[in-house]
Formats: sequence, C-alpha cells, structure tokens
Amino acid sequence: MTVYDIHAPLPDELMHLSEDDFTPQVREHTLDEIGKSSSAGFYRDALRRLRQSKASIVSFWIILLIIVLAFTVPLFTGYSYTQQNVKGKNLPPRIPVLENIGIADGSMVLTNRKKSSLDNTKRFPEGSVLSVVREYTANNVEVVDVKVDYYIYSGVDPHEYHWFGTDYLGRDIMTRLFTGTRISLLIAFISVITNVIIGVIYGSIAGYYGGKIDMFLTHFAEVLDGLPYIVVTILFMLLFGSGMFSIILALTVTGWIGTARLIRAQFYRFKGREYVLAARTLGVPDRTLIFRHILPNTVGPLITRAMIAIPGAIFSESFLAYIGLGIKPPEPSIGVLLSVGQSVLLQYPTQTLFPALLISVLMIAFNLFSNGLRDAMDPTLRGEEG
Amino acid sequence: MFKYILGRIGAMLLTLFLVMTLSFWIIRLMPMSIFENPEVSPEIQRKLEDRMHLHEPMAVQYYYFIEGIVTRGDFGTSVKIRPGLDVFEILSTRIPATVVLNVFSLLLSIPLGIIFGTWAALKRNKMTDTVISFFIVVFISVPSFVFASVLQYMFTFVWPIFPTLYNAQSPNFAVRLYSMVLPIIALSLNPIASIARYLRGELIETLSSDFMLLARTKGLTNTEATFKHAFRNSLVPIANTIIPMITGIMGGSLVIEKIFSVNGMGGQLIDSILGGDHFLTVALLIFYSAISLFTILVVDISYGIIDPRIRVGGKK
Repeated sequence: MTVYDIHAPLPDELMHLSEDDFTPQVREHTLDEIGKSSSAGFYRDALRRLRQSKASIVSFWIILLIIVLAFTVPLFTGYSYTQQNVKGKNLPPRIPVLENIGIADGSMVLTNRKKSSLDNTKRFPEGSVLSVVREYTANNVEVVDVKVDYYIYSGVDPHEYHWFGTDYLGRDIMTRLFTGTRISLLIAFISVITNVIIGVIYGSIAGYYGGKIDMFLTHFAEVLDGLPYIVVTILFMLLFGSGMFSIILALTVTGWIGTARLIRAQFYRFKGREYVLAARTLGVPDRTLIFRHILPNTVGPLITRAMIAIPGAIFSESFLAYIGLGIKPPEPSIGVLLSVGQSVLLQYPTQTLFPALLISVLMIAFNLFSNGLRDAMDPTLRGEEG
Repeated sequence: MFKYILGRIGAMLLTLFLVMTLSFWIIRLMPMSIFENPEVSPEIQRKLEDRMHLHEPMAVQYYYFIEGIVTRGDFGTSVKIRPGLDVFEILSTRIPATVVLNVFSLLLSIPLGIIFGTWAALKRNKMTDTVISFFIVVFISVPSFVFASVLQYMFTFVWPIFPTLYNAQSPNFAVRLYSMVLPIIALSLNPIASIARYLRGELIETLSSDFMLLARTKGLTNTEATFKHAFRNSLVPIANTIIPMITGIMGGSLVIEKIFSVNGMGGQLIDSILGGDHFLTVALLIFYSAISLFTILVVDISYGIIDPRIRVGGKK
C-alpha cells in the first residue's frame, strides 16, 4: 500500500478530474443473468480442453487432410491404381514446378555404364543424358556414372508426370498410395467400430448382470486374451484367406477384449448408483437401464479407446502385408506398398519413402490426437498410460 | 510364492494347449488337402495321408496331433518347403537367431528406456523433457519396419557402416552380432520409447507425493531423494509395459528378420505361409507362442519375487 504524505501536493491524475469520472458504473448483467448462463456440459468442457492443446488440433487437421487426400487424389492423378505401363517401370518421382529447381525432376544416376554406350541412341535416347557424374576405368574399359532423365531414358512420353514415381509394374505410386490409404483407413475404422460394438455388448452383459454370468464371460475373455495376439491373427488370416474382409475379421477375433473390460469396469462403477436404483424401482426394464442410464457414462473413455486402437489397426494391417497375408495383390494398401518398396529399397528408395512417410505421419497424428482426447475427456489421467 | 508360480505355469500351459487346439482345427478346417501336389501320384498321396492319419475321424486326428507333440515332440513333417524333413529339426536351426535378436533387443531397451524416462522426469517441462517427449511420440507411433527401412538405407547404403544383411555364415559370433546391430536397433526403438513414456509419467506422479516432500525436508538433495525413494517405487509398475512390450518385440522381429534376412523363425514363417506348408506354420506358431509365453512367465515370476503385492493380489 502506498503511503501518501498529506502535506505533499496531490498527484497529477487526482488534480484533474472530470465530470465523467463521477458517473456510476453500470452493471452489464444482472446477477440473475449471470446465474442463468448455460453451464458447460461434459462434452463441451472436453471440447474446450481439447481445443487448448495445439498438438491435438494440428493432428486433427492432418488426419482430416489425409482422409480427404485419400478420397480425392486417385480421382485427379489420371491413372488408375491397376493401370500398368511396361515401359515406365520404376520411374523416379517427377512433379511439375518442383522439377525446375532440381527436386523430383525425374532424373536418376545410373552407375557402371560403358562410356561408349552413351552415344548409342538405342540405349540412351536423345536428350536423356543430363550429365556425367563420375568417370573411371575398370578392367581397361572406360566406365561412367551418368545422370539421366529417366523418363526419356525409358521411352515414356516426356509429358507424363508421376509425382511419386511408379512401381515395378509401372503403376503410378501416388494413385496406389492414396487408394491404399483409403483401404488401410477403412480396415482400421471398420475393425475398430466392430470391436467397440462387440466389446460394448459383451462388457455390458458381464458388468450389468454380474455373478456367474460375469465370472464365465470374464474368464472366457481372459483365456482368449492370453493367446499371443500375432499368432491368433495369423491363424485366422490363414483360415479366412487374404482380403480386406478377412483382415477385419482377424483383427476382431481378440480386438474387442480391451473394450469389453473397460465397459465392464464402468458398469460396476455405475450400476449401484442411486439414480439407477431409482429407475429400477420405477420398473424400467434392463435394456433401458443398460443403454439409457448406464452406457452414456462410458462414452468418453470409449471414444478415447477407439481412437487409440486405430493406429494399432493400421499397424496390424501393414504387418500382415509384410508377412504376405495382406490385401489381395492388385489392391494396394499402405502395408503392401511398404513391403513391395522394401524389396527394392537400395535401388529405388523413393518407392519406400512415400508410403513410409505417410504411415509415419498418420500414426503420429493419430497418437497425438488420441492423447489429447484422453487428456480432455479425463483430466485426472493426464500423462498416464492409456 | 510356490502357489503363485504354480498358478502362473498352469495358466501358461493352458494357453499353450489352447494355441495347439486352435491351430489344429483351423488348419483342418481349411478347404484344401494338405498334400495337394499334382506331381505326387495318387497312391503315394494316399499312403502319405494314411501315415498322417488323415482318414480317421477328426477327434482321433486331434488326439494323435496332441499326443505326438506332448509325448514325442513330434510336430509332423514339412510337406512343401523342405519336403520330408522333420519340422522340429527345421525349427531347431531357426530358433537361435530369433532368440538372440529378441534377447539383445530386450537387454538394450530396458536400461535405455529407464534412463531416458528418468531424465525426462527430472527435467520436467524443460527443453530436455520436451525433446525426449517428442522422440517418444515419434518412436511409439512409427512402426518398427519403417525404422528398419530407414536404418538399412542410411547405414548400409548412404554411409556403409554396417552390412546390409545378417551374416549367418560367419563362425565368429562377434561378426554375426555386428551384422545384427541394425535389426536390434530397429526393434528396440519402440520399446525404449514406451518404457520411457511410462516411467516418466510414473516418476512425475511419485515425485509429487508426500514422502518425497519428507525426504527433501530431511535434507536430501533432489537427485538423492529421487534415486533413493521415488525411483524404486516407479520401477515396479513398469511390469505393465514390459509384458506387452515383449509381445511387441516378438511380433516386430518377424518382419525385421525378413528385412535384414536374419535366418530366424520370422523368415521361415513367411515362407511357410506363402508356400502353404501348414505343418511347419503351425509348429512355428506354437513355438513362437511358447517362447513369448515363457518370457512373460519369467517376467511375471520375477515381479512376484520383487513385489509381494503382485503375488498376493494377482495382476492389478
């Protein structure tokens, strides 16, 4: 607190007071109005917290962008994902505009070529040789490493653009990648939704009825959960055969158990509450009690869990593709592209680069978003393992 | 304690039995003959089928299958990949590489995970923590086979420090191990990150508890208090991450082995699946389950010894 010397002259701002300084302050809201402003519900509150986390917002937009790209890009590339081109095999990426500054200009360095063959227009069509990177002699033969415009070199129409290049059958990788993303995402979403539905029903029954039914159901789930996940998935993939539907089925065999466990625990928490008892006393049937009175309490954790499961499903799909149990061949998926690219990694690294980048970005975005969602839905769990 | 161990072993055996049962029925339910091969004459095919009891009722076949495994360790014979060879023999040449790969990756990831987790927790909300947390998210999210591709490209092609593929021929263990460095790293990044994340969360919670305040009040420095009081408390719950981590490593190793052509079970599994050699596939899956269940059993029991609450209260 400032102590004023009473003999000192008044400070400046007090010497010059105007008439306006003495008008009374008007209250903007009456007290009643303040009390009436709508209270923030659970979901609005969660949404507000979610909006505060920058990482979640950014990842949400990235996920949305990838989904939109997955549906639109294949329409605009001008190629279909099965369209093969015998001439244009393993073309490097070539992107308009960027090619002018030397990135993705469709060039590639060919090593160990005879110097004399450079003049042979059958091997090196006119205009294909851009520069000679290195000259040396091996076994008395003059050898060169030469940078070529691979599009002209392979005899493809020089006005053709493959943004991400082509694969070993000359199929456009960008079209295949985004079609594959669509398939991978579809597998992830459908399998997670199926898991949630099964888990909710199973967990609700176990949690609501309790007693012997619960004991039986819980033990059954526990035994099933003890089986190594990969072994079960591989076995069921063998049984169902490859294909999108089989992958979804295989991912649901044990995928629902976590959800069921979560729902069961939530039911144990809420079924003894007074409001449930009151509803039961009023003669509300079991079905309504389960779906109307108890289940809505579990929606928060359920959404979080489902979001966390999605990157897991994308991973499993890629994993199965590597093992050779993925989608049926002409159809692409991120995993299929990765495993195909991996086999020619050292020769044509860009074939791995784009699928690898896409799956990494997608997985990171999903993980960050579901972390943010978890924190928003349940602030007490902040920083804990999901 | 004895009862606890017995219970765990019982559960493991039950699970293994279930895996066998499941494999048997799934393979037999598949809509094709196990020996479909146009080059084999029908007579021989019939004889082979007789030898494998394929004309008996399913229940009897099931009995033979289980009996063969339990009493004689007989998993059948390979029919497509290496015809006529005993599956168990093929397996025994394949197991060591997988075990070495998995064990080394486990040995690498636990200490590193603990170090990074503790470091991040101690420097909470500072630059170090942010950087570590960023890498944790990246390493948890990005699949191990993507890392494998990146490592293989960077360290065998751009900077050729390591050999591209696993060198199985060399009689020298050190040489073989050196060629296994990249697969081990690729396999370990994810577990390191998950341990670090869990430990960080756990430590941060412990650091804010009352007994830590007491430890600081009686004059311990922050580091002393952390290592003497908080650290041990936070290590126990890591069991929760170690078990899923083991399954993660084992699964990842299937693919990593293929990428670096390590002659382990993974490559063999892929070959046998693609080749339709079902006896071999089943045997591989059973062995694969056995190894991962056994590792989990060891972790379970050692945690039962470390923390009495676990063996009394069950997994919680």
